[in-house]
Amino acid sequence: MVARLGEWLNERVGWRRVWEAIFLRKVPKLNWLYTLGSATLFVAVNQIVTGILLTIYYVPTPDHAYDSVRYITTEVPAGWLIRGLHHWGASAMVILAALHMLRVILYGSYKYPREVTWVSGVLLLLVVVGFGFTGYLLPWDQKAFWATTVGTRIAGVAPLIGDSILRVMRGGAELSAVTLARFFGVHVWVLPAVFLLLLFVHLYLVIRLGISAVPHHKE
Amino acid sequence: MNEDKSVDRRGFMSIVTWAIGGLITAAMGIPGVAYVLGPALQNAQVEQWIRLGSTSKVELGTPTLFKAKVQRKTGWVTAEDELAVFVRSDNGRDFIAMSNICTHLGCRVRWIAERQQFLSPCHNGVFDRDGNVVSGPPPRPLDRYAVKVEDGQIHILGG
Repeated sequence: MVARLGEWLNERVGWRRVWEAIFLRKVPKLNWLYTLGSATLFVAVNQIVTGILLTIYYVPTPDHAYDSVRYITTEVPAGWLIRGLHHWGASAMVILAALHMLRVILYGSYKYPREVTWVSGVLLLLVVVGFGFTGYLLPWDQKAFWATTVGTRIAGVAPLIGDSILRVMRGGAELSAVTLARFFGVHVWVLPAVFLLLLFVHLYLVIRLGISAVPHHKE
Repeated sequence: MNEDKSVDRRGFMSIVTWAIGGLITAAMGIPGVAYVLGPALQNAQVEQWIRLGSTSKVELGTPTLFKAKVQRKTGWVTAEDELAVFVRSDNGRDFIAMSNICTHLGCRVRWIAERQQFLSPCHNGVFDRDGNVVSGPPPRPLDRYAVKVEDGQIHILGG
């Protein structure tokens, strides 16, 4: 029954070829370091799912942000788990992406013909850092407030345009309700859109070009 | 290759992969559902006696509207809400208290003195002086509150 339905769909959609291209593609003899990219992808999915769930209760305004986060953590069933997964997943994401990048550097996997894969990966890492920076403000507690005060100040010391960058980031001279709202908007709309686009390019190229083998001693 | 039905290495790995995937999905999915549904399944406010006002304000035979402030906690917000209740007494000793919320879709009813009826303006729901449905779409009479009188003050049990 299921097999016939799959066949019916495949005849019209051709999903089997897509499935084979993604999961049954040929790969050289690899080691466990090659799982770091998939591990990063796994955590990214975790961040997307838990992040969407958090927005069901979180409100990005100064009078509600802290209370709504506390409500999620202490009163919503499994809220502590969803928030915890998102919180720790954020750190795991940065660490795994960095380790993944190290593997690519050490094995020379960024070389021809994989330069575009590499560039998209570097951009993805920047987006991940952007996620971390904007997400850190959202709980709107003391640590969040002062970390973002410092973070935007650091951007402010850039020569000539520093003050303009600081004002654009904060939405004014001071850290305010405007800052919280724009950080939220960037965190849940702008960055996810950019992230998914880059991720699509990255994975398409990984599948199209195949994975580089572990460098050999000879030849 | 194998003629018998025993699971080969590739098949075994496939089963294990799907099983782990299913386990992770369940571990994420079940808390996710609980998380979304949680507040919807929580019980409403705790009921308590709310003081409406003096019995002397009730005109005999006429439903009199009382308003009381109640603290309501919804999610992380505690806000002051206004409760409006019609109180009627025919003899000055026995009181009935009715909600002013129409049982059809929640509009507020008002007392039309010349017709001796409650009218809900939204869909022309009409209730008699006891709160029973006279005409229109309301499915049941106006909700009643338990009433007690202490020191000449009317209290209702609500939340």
